[in-house]
This record gives sequence, C-alpha cells and structure tokens, in this order.
Amino acid sequence: MTGSIRIKWCLGALVLGFVGLAAAFLGDLWGHPPAHQQIALVDKSFLEQTPWRRTYADMVRAKEDMSDFDCYGCHDQKKPPPLRFDKNSILIVPEEHKDIVMGHGSHNRNNLCYNCHNESNLLTFQVRDGRELKFADSSQLCGSCHGPNYRDWEAGAHGRINGYWNTSLGAARKLDCANCHNPHNPHIPTRKPAPGPHALRTPVYEYQASRAPNP
Amino acid sequence: MTPSASTPPPAPPPGHDPDRRSFLRSSAAFAGLTALAASLSPLRELGDYTSTEQFLQKYYKEMTPEDMKKVLRRITNEVERQYGIRPHVRDLRPMDGVEFVYALNLTRCIGCRKCVHACVAENNQSRSPEIQYIRVLKMPHGSMDVDKGNHTYDDKDVPDPGYFYMPIQCQQCKNPPCVKVCPVNATWQEKDGITVIDYDWCIGCRYCEAACPYWARRFNFTKPEIPKDRLNPEMSYLGNRPRKQGVMEKCHFCIQRTRAGRYPACLEVCPVGARKFGNILDPESEISYILRTKRIFIQLKEEMGTSPRFFYYFDK
Amino acid sequence: MITAARNYLVFLRRSARIAFVGDWRYYAWMGVLTAITLLGLNAYAKQLVHGLVVTGMSDEVSWGVYIANFTFLVGVAAAAVMMVIPVYIYDNEELHDLVIFGELLAVAAIIMCLLFVTVDLGRPDRFWHLIPGLGQLNFPRSMLSWDVIVLNGYLLLNVHICGYLLYCRYQDRKPAKWFYIPFVFTAIIWAVSIHTVTAFLYVGLGGRPFWNASIVGPRFLASAFTAGPAIIILALQIIRHVTHYRITDKALLTLRSIVQVSMIINVFLLVCEVFKEFYSGTTHSESARYLFLGLEGHHALVPWIWTAIGFNLIAMTILVLPVSRGLKYLNVACVLSIVGIWIEKGMGLVIPGFIPTPLGAIVDYVPSLNETLVCLGIWAFGLLCYTIFLRMSVPILQGRLSQANEGQPEIQGDEPDTPASFATPAPH
Repeated sequence: MTGSIRIKWCLGALVLGFVGLAAAFLGDLWGHPPAHQQIALVDKSFLEQTPWRRTYADMVRAKEDMSDFDCYGCHDQKKPPPLRFDKNSILIVPEEHKDIVMGHGSHNRNNLCYNCHNESNLLTFQVRDGRELKFADSSQLCGSCHGPNYRDWEAGAHGRINGYWNTSLGAARKLDCANCHNPHNPHIPTRKPAPGPHALRTPVYEYQASRAPNP
Repeated sequence: MTPSASTPPPAPPPGHDPDRRSFLRSSAAFAGLTALAASLSPLRELGDYTSTEQFLQKYYKEMTPEDMKKVLRRITNEVERQYGIRPHVRDLRPMDGVEFVYALNLTRCIGCRKCVHACVAENNQSRSPEIQYIRVLKMPHGSMDVDKGNHTYDDKDVPDPGYFYMPIQCQQCKNPPCVKVCPVNATWQEKDGITVIDYDWCIGCRYCEAACPYWARRFNFTKPEIPKDRLNPEMSYLGNRPRKQGVMEKCHFCIQRTRAGRYPACLEVCPVGARKFGNILDPESEISYILRTKRIFIQLKEEMGTSPRFFYYFDK
Repeated sequence: MITAARNYLVFLRRSARIAFVGDWRYYAWMGVLTAITLLGLNAYAKQLVHGLVVTGMSDEVSWGVYIANFTFLVGVAAAAVMMVIPVYIYDNEELHDLVIFGELLAVAAIIMCLLFVTVDLGRPDRFWHLIPGLGQLNFPRSMLSWDVIVLNGYLLLNVHICGYLLYCRYQDRKPAKWFYIPFVFTAIIWAVSIHTVTAFLYVGLGGRPFWNASIVGPRFLASAFTAGPAIIILALQIIRHVTHYRITDKALLTLRSIVQVSMIINVFLLVCEVFKEFYSGTTHSESARYLFLGLEGHHALVPWIWTAIGFNLIAMTILVLPVSRGLKYLNVACVLSIVGIWIEKGMGLVIPGFIPTPLGAIVDYVPSLNETLVCLGIWAFGLLCYTIFLRMSVPILQGRLSQANEGQPEIQGDEPDTPASFATPAPH
C-alpha cells in the first residue's frame, strides 16, 4: 500500500470513527451517576423536643386533672400509711401504687417512701432539715441530697434549658429534675439510638471498630 | 536553506490525489466537530445549574443592603419554585458583645444521635446522599484518641457500659485552618465566633475539607435532596438555606437560631442535657459557669493549634 | 506596525494550518487522541450535570485521581524547564534547540494541570472568584492562591519564551537577548517555585500528619526531576524518529545524568520517610501504615506502592550502571521511573493522606469509569497539544517553515515519497 492510499484509509477510518463516537455519545451508553441511595427518613420520634416526663408543676400549668394527687381521697388524714417490708428488708410497694417501681439509690438505700414523702401530710414532701415542700417545688427536695448537681442545675450546667439563651429576646424554659428523672427510679433509661450514618460510597467497608480491648 | 522558487514541484506519484485527500481531510474534521457536539449532549440536562444573576453575584462582605435584599428575594423564589413552600430567608448579623462557645458533657451523653437528626431537620441537609454535620463516636473508656472511635455503632441499648459517646461537629476554631486555606475567602470567621460559608461564593475545591482536623466539613457531591414535608422554612443566608450541588457546608451553630437569641437545635433535643451553649462574654451564662467551675475540660486535638470554641468536659 | 501585525498573523495561520497536515501516522495519532479527548469531554459533561458523585470521591476521601494527576504534572512542568540550566549556565550548544522542546512540554503539562484542577472543582462556573481584583483571591494566606498565580505565570513565561524564539527563527533573525534571557532565568527559578508551592499545599495542613512533614517538598522536587527529564528523553527520541530532527545522543545522556542523580535522591528520601514513619511508632503514622502495610483489613494500595518502589529501585539500578548509556536500557529505566513516580505521587501521596480520616474512619477510594475517562481525556488533550506544538516548531527550527518561503505552496507533510521534506540540514 502506498503512503497516500494509507492516508486515505486512515482519514476514512477517522470519519467513521468520529461518527460512531458521536452516535455512542448520543446513546448515553455509560457513565451514569450511581444509583440513588434509598435512605429511610428518620422516625420523627427522634426529633421530639418535649421532655419525656411531665412534672406536677407542668400538669398544674396545663390545668389537667389532678385527682391522682388527691392522696386523702383514699388515705386517712389522721393515720400515716404504714410501710411493709419483706423478709430481706426490701420495701413492698402496695398494690394500689403498683405503677411505682422503686430504684432510688444503689443497694436499695433510698427505697423508703418517707425519706421524701411526709407521712404526716401526704400532700407535701419533707426535707431532712424539717422543711416541708409543696409538690410543685420538688426540685429543691432533690437538691437537698444532690448538692453538686443541684448547684449545677441552678447555674444551668445540669439538665436542659429550651428556648432562648438571650432571655431579653424570648423566654427560656429550664426543665425540672422530674422532667428527666423519675423520682422513684431516677436512672436515665437506656434506649435504642437513632440510625447511624450512611456513607456515600457503597459498598463501603465498616468504619474501623474500636481497637481498645473491652475493660 | 529555503527551497528555490524556480524549480517546479516534483511530479506526483501514482495514486496521489490531493483533491480526494483534502475532501477526506475536511470530512474527518467535520466528523470530528460532529463528535465534539455530540460529546457535549449531556449538557442538555444542565437545567438550573446557575443563572446570570447568580453568576454575577457579589461576595457577601461586599454586598450592600440593597444587593442582599435582591439576593434574598432570589433565594426565596428559588426555594418556593423547588419545594412549593415560601420560606422566610433573612440575613442575620452578629450581635455585639457575643462570642458563642459550646460545651459538651461527656459524662451525660448517651449516644442516642437525636442531635444528629435534629440538626439535619433544622438545617435542611440532604437526605440522599446523606449529609450530617454531627458525627457521634463511640469511644472506649480510657482514651481520647478518635482513631479508636466507632462511627457506625448500632447498639440495641445506649449507653453501652464500658464506653462513652463523643459527638463531633465543627469546632468553630479561633484559629481555623479552613479559613486560612480557602482560595476565594468563601469561608471566614464572623465577629461572634461562628465560621460561616457563603454558599454562593464557594467554588467547591474542597481544600477546606482536606484542611479540617476534625472532619467537620461536608461537600455536596450532587444535588441535595430534601423531602418537601421536612423543609424548615425559617432560613438565613449564611445558615440553613438549601445549598446547591458542588458547594461546601458545615455546622454553623444554627446561626438562624442563635443570632436570634435561641439555642441550637442539637441542644434543644438532647434528652440528657449534655449540650451547653451560650455567650462566653456573659459571666452569668451557663457556659461561663462551666468553664469556670469544671476541673476537667478539654479541646479535641489541642496540639493542632486551632483553639476550638468547643469544649468537652466531665462531671465525674 | 501594521506589517508586523500582518506578518505575525500569517505566521500564526501557517502554523495552525500545518497542524492539520501530516502522514498517515500523524492522522492516526491525532485521530485517536481526539477521540479520547472527546470521551473525556463527554464524561466531564456528565460530571457537570450530576455533580462529583459520578467520581469515586467522598467526604472521607475528597481528592482523587484529578488532584493526583495534577500533582504529577506540575512536577513534569517544573522539570521540563530545569533542563534549561545546562544550556544557559554551561553554555551547551548541543542542547539549545532542545530547550524549546522542553519548554513546549512544560506548556502542555501546565495546560493539563489547569484542566485537572478545573475538572476537580464543584463549581467551575465560579472560576472568576479566583481572579485577583475581580474576585477574592485569598493571597497570601491560601497556598492554593499561590498555586493559581505561579501556574498561570509559568504558563505565560513559557509561552512567551517559546513563542518569541520560534517567531525569531521563523523570521530568520537573531532573538534579542534581553527579550528572552531574563525570562529564561526567571522560568528556571519559577519552575522550582511551582512545585514547591504545590508541595506546600499539602505540607501546610496540620490536620493530616501524613502530609504535614518537611520531607514532602524535597521529595516532590526529587521525583519531578526524575520523571520530567525521563519523559523528555522519551519524547526527544520520538521526535528524532518521526521528524528526523537532529538530536544527538549526547543530549540524551546529559538528561540521563539528571534522571540518575534525582532518582538516587528520591530513593534516599523514601528511606528517610519510611524510617520516620515506622521507627517511632506513633499514631501519626496510621496513613503510612495503610499505604505500606494495610490497615484493619484494607490493603487496596499496598500492591501499588510496592510495585512503584520496585520500579524505582530497578530504574535506579539500571541508571547507575553504565549499561544505561545504551538507549534500550535507558528507555526501560525511563518508563519504569515515570510509572513508579506517577504511582508514588498519585496513589502514594494523595490518597493515603485521607485514610484514615481525621476521625479515624477508613473508606476506600476507587476511581469511577467517568473519572478515569476524564483523566484519559485530559492526558490525550495534553498529548494533542504537545504534538501540535512540535508539529509547528520542528519545521520552523528546521527552516522549512519560515517567512522567506511565505507564498510558496505549503509543505505537504503527507507526501510519503518526498524524503526531501524530512531530510534536514543541521539547525544553525
């Protein structure tokens, strides 16, 4: 093949090649973006800001039915309700209050109703120094034993404040102890966490697991 | 050196057909141009990639109030067109005498990740691909080395004994490496300590993402996807307005809330009150109290010299 | 004034026209390169529409082959000009014209660098934000702003030098020394700066301990001066073969000594790096561990880096032995060096910097098909540019394309039976 014929074939091949390439481009045959990741939207319960417990004060503010707190509807004004213990000296919660699960303090140290409740006046609490507190002031009762946490709570460092940090622009609402802690069983309950992160590149390897041995 | 003009050109050898050749040459060139045009065919779907207005938009710090009004109007219309909801977009300025600082109580955090999702909801982050400003690390007792953290824990019950949980987000450093490296000043630190991003100025080079020692910055690899019914219409220019493909974003301390005097979304949802936020220049704020009274508080990767405005502390 | 402008335009027109003329090998080569370029352009169009999600990058590994190729090519561009030193400082007449080939390679390499950076941007429509005065160039704090300035300045320097020297040769007049010698010396110093600035892009990031090391700058320069002249050695032989332009072996051997010394330094610096990372055993060496040994079951880069090290060691051995004075062995050493250093600068530098992330996560990076096509397209475009530059400059240097033979039938380079077109007298 002489050189000039080679050139013609070459140019001819180029023409065909470019036309083929143009067709391939228009056909959009490759290079598509990766498949859209179907990630479930998070359950709205994880976005809830309302405190998981409502205090006596909350219920009063919301003008709710307070008949549950009418102790003397069942109890006798002149007779303090007796406490009963089993053979291991563990408090027996009466049938009428079976919704109360005691768990205040380790080794059942604080599972004694009258450490907080006032046997002479069930509508109040009693503090070690002899004071009586209304139900709405329950946080002071917690603070009478839990000093450091109470001081932190007063300063805003313990617990949660919702609303405005700049109170000149709006209201701040500091949650009370009982908004987070069940007074009879104050330990914050465990829960299922919200879903973890979904990385862009799938399949993706596991993020490296914790390397330290379990203590 | 140069060929003499008098000698005639040599006789063409057989098969030499200049006309056919130049026709083929032009055909090849034409076919090449066709292929060139066809190669650009995907650009038909470019759609609302940009507009003249957006292309010419000024830098945030050089905008007059009139410019900003026009821009906010444009953003409002764009969001309404895309999501069917008319948002309220503002440009909130920093308050005087305010420097924001964040503190996180590692004794309290239970690793429930509610903060992660509250942030996503408040700040209109893309759901797919997923962008989350906060990453919670499950750390073993006894170490602050983030390399030991587990990002994808899926415990049945949190907290898992023997571990603590450390949420990490933008630390709003006093000496931010991301601000230093941005070639176009699209990210800078404001008076109240928040490091912000002008989403309409960012060129998407991702140098800031490489520079951040806390992996706090996120990039929009494609068009972000926000479900219409989960859009937060209370927006701000430097904060939670929907971003576009190809720009960076990160935690901005919920600037649309905090500059209006409110707490950030992550703090308001935390079930155990592990998050604390406020104005460090106010001695009465809880954040000042914490930094004054807690004995142990640390900054992550302190040796980086970034001086974060984010402190981790322990009660016990 | 008008005649000067007219002459210049004629020069440009003739140079441009000659780029479309050649023999069948030329058409085949240019055709293939054009096709690959178009494949890359098409892939980039898809990237513009869908975003960088079509690449393999993620928030964890946010830079990939685009920046890896950019880094490698800045080195090539820097080194291409460094071979200017023996010519002007040692007054080596043999290499005079080859300087232009080196500088043209630098121009092509810089064009490729600028393209690689552009395709990596998330919002390339906002490029004007980088223009000082018009936009907001964060100079001098951001190393990327330095890079923008030095790369564009370097491009202009080399375009000026090559353009001026070629135009003077075209007009058959001696170039005025003051109009190019100062620029040449500036270019020599500038060449070092472009690669140092690119190194400092990485070194300045305190949050990435793999990069935040003083050895990165010297290693960049050592590897650049290995790979750059190696590419030129290969390119000169191709030019010699295709155009019969006179290039002596002596020129190639001068370049060989540059490659030899640089490779020895490169390997020594590698040893320094490996010792520092592994002897003290701090957690800062996690990225190095990932690269050389694998980490927590992730070994993707381990075969690559050991192949690169193997290639570099074999190349260094060949280069040190006198057998590399023979072109066959020299070429093997050059190819091994280029591939080894490309792997080192790309997979061996950019990717491990991101793994593990600053928070300890490991996410592997694999370039996607689209990303690869864009890279190939840019490489093809760069080769296309360089071929066109050579196609224009060789006839000028040989005197076949000059102002004196304006108006005569254009040389038909695609006439295969006229070896007279190619047999060239020695350049003056």
